[in-house]
Amino acid sequence: MSEVRELPLVEAIKEAYRQEMERDESVFMVGQDIAGGIFPHTKGLVEQFGTDRIVDTPLAELGMYGTAFGAAMEGFRPIVDFMFAGFFLNAASPILAQTAQFRFIHGSQMSLPMVITGACGAGMRLGNEHAMLVHNMIAQVPGIKVCMPSTPYDAKGMMIAAIRDDNPVAFIWHLGTMMDRGPVPEEPYVVPLGVADVKREGSDVTLVANGFQYKNAGIVADRLAGEISVEIIDPRSFSPLDIDTILKSLEKTGRLVVVDESWESRSTASEIAAQVVDRGFDLLDAPIRRVTIPNMPLPGGHMEPYVAPNPDAIEAAVRDVCR
Amino acid sequence: MALGKEQMKLLYRNLVRADHFDKMMMNRIMQGKLIGFYHPGDGAMAAGVGASTFLGDDDILNPHHRAHGLGYAAGRGVDIGRYLAEHTGKVDGCCGGRSSFHWSFPEKKMYGASGFIGWHFCPVVGWGWASKRKGNQMVLMASGDGSYGQGGAHEAMLFAMNWKLPIVFFCENNGMAIHSTISDMHPMPDISSLAQGYGMPAVVIDGQDVFAVAETVMAARKHALAGKGPTFVEAKTLRLREHDVGTPDLARAEPREAAYLEELKKRDPVVLATSRVLAEKVLTQKQIDKIYKDAKAEVEQVEKFADDSPVAQPSIEELLAGVYVA
Ligand SMILES: Cc1ncc(C[n+]2csc(CCOP(=O)(O)OP(=O)(O)O)c2C)c(N)n1
Ligand SMILES: [Mg+2]
Repeated sequence: MSEVRELPLVEAIKEAYRQEMERDESVFMVGQDIAGGIFPHTKGLVEQFGTDRIVDTPLAELGMYGTAFGAAMEGFRPIVDFMFAGFFLNAASPILAQTAQFRFIHGSQMSLPMVITGACGAGMRLGNEHAMLVHNMIAQVPGIKVCMPSTPYDAKGMMIAAIRDDNPVAFIWHLGTMMDRGPVPEEPYVVPLGVADVKREGSDVTLVANGFQYKNAGIVADRLAGEISVEIIDPRSFSPLDIDTILKSLEKTGRLVVVDESWESRSTASEIAAQVVDRGFDLLDAPIRRVTIPNMPLPGGHMEPYVAPNPDAIEAAVRDVCR
Repeated sequence: MALGKEQMKLLYRNLVRADHFDKMMMNRIMQGKLIGFYHPGDGAMAAGVGASTFLGDDDILNPHHRAHGLGYAAGRGVDIGRYLAEHTGKVDGCCGGRSSFHWSFPEKKMYGASGFIGWHFCPVVGWGWASKRKGNQMVLMASGDGSYGQGGAHEAMLFAMNWKLPIVFFCENNGMAIHSTISDMHPMPDISSLAQGYGMPAVVIDGQDVFAVAETVMAARKHALAGKGPTFVEAKTLRLREHDVGTPDLARAEPREAAYLEELKKRDPVVLATSRVLAEKVLTQKQIDKIYKDAKAEVEQVEKFADDSPVAQPSIEELLAGVYVA
């Protein structure tokens, strides 16, 4: 068997854009400076698809998002790139108040197929506004799907799934994974949204983590190898959330640590904890631990590495539930 | 409003200082001695210096993001040591090392930068409203041509004109926003044309001429303090380098042309100001040399202060205590 080619995560995302735009004329991208490219995921696309489909806008997130919103109603399938995911907040009202809830309120007649994307994450020490992960803010609202890949394989498959999905999907990606390399098949394929993935099998504790934190989880599992057997589950999607895969793992481990690069309160970590207590209380042998950003704006500077979830904090939590 | 000799000297000195600070930041980011980004102001430091040097102490000053506001910080008399300590995550940083490049000096009525371009179009309304209520103070709100794409710009201009708020909308138009050129983003070449729809007085000036900028802003300030409302001041400037250090320098998807950039260099504001102060005998070459020597010494002092300051790494408990007012 020939070896599967390796690509960095950003290139995997770009391949998804390219293949889907080749497949379907109605797919187009809109964003700021995407023709020149801020991150490598859009570089070179304008040469192939032209400015009708790689649409640069003025520095105006509302207008930029409006292009996607209205065009989706007219049968297009936009991908709207906010550059840094946090900038979506400048278009939060049409996204959260209208787009997500529109279909339902108007009798489930319309669909709004679109992908909302942007990069984010701690690691560059830029401070809250550039680093902040927005998945929980969006996932709170029913009617929009939210996901984040951890590997190049998932990045391509989930982006293709997001583009083909008839619902609005927020696909965020973590800057700390941008250049991570991994196997990516050349042909188009789909990684279904709303399905978690057991990325590493283990028997003592279930560790849920994704994006950059998936890598930190791997570091901790390596550190503890021979001592504590860690099962790593990548939720991949935050909404819908695949709780069954987590419950199934807990049947084996009875212990749960959830890493979420977001605030401690009202996060995906909290949601998983609540659902597990609801449906799997009897499976638990220890309290659930959440490894998150404490309830403070993420500072930049030298504080970011220890305020954001990190291997030491994850290891401490794993040891704590395995005592 | 003609400038006096002493005023011209001060402007010249601040321009040279600001230029040195910008180069210091450039050097440091390339040496890995700065946290986060740096968006160089090379060749475009005059607008900030001219706009800020003669503001009143009670005036509110919102700096432009380019050069991380250094032209404005230099004009305002901000402690550049604490500014740099912030950019390096040190204990003596003006925000305790938390803000990375989103610094603020509330005691100087510089309420702080945000990573969201155009964020200031929201609070500027309240800055203007409060200034009008209090009297005898105004707002200098600086930002770039790109930022005027934000819808909030229109709300700010609407409120400012409706309520005759004492605000100067100071736009540094360098014709670029990252890889986008002005003609990609705006139907009209002058951003100040937007103000006309609101009946706001608007002027276009040479942003490379530190003296012209200062004269215009002082006149607009007088207008504002007299209760006559806002003014739009558009300072035409340029961008010599890439958007931020390390990003390719593109116009849309193509590299910007070297010949064009060479042409821009001829508009270096320090060179322009130097020939004027010499020609008008405001300063002698000897005095200019001294200004350069002092600026160099200040940079050394600023760097030493920041480098000597300990890394800011407070405990989670200490940080949590800073989220809410006790
Ligand atoms: C809300 C928001 N959108 C996009 C960006 C990315 N961004 C940073 S600077 C910039 C260009 C700003 O252009 P302009 O206002 O003309 O200032 P200049 O950089 O030219 O000095 C952009 C698009 C941002 N920081 N915030
Ligand atoms: Mg500009």
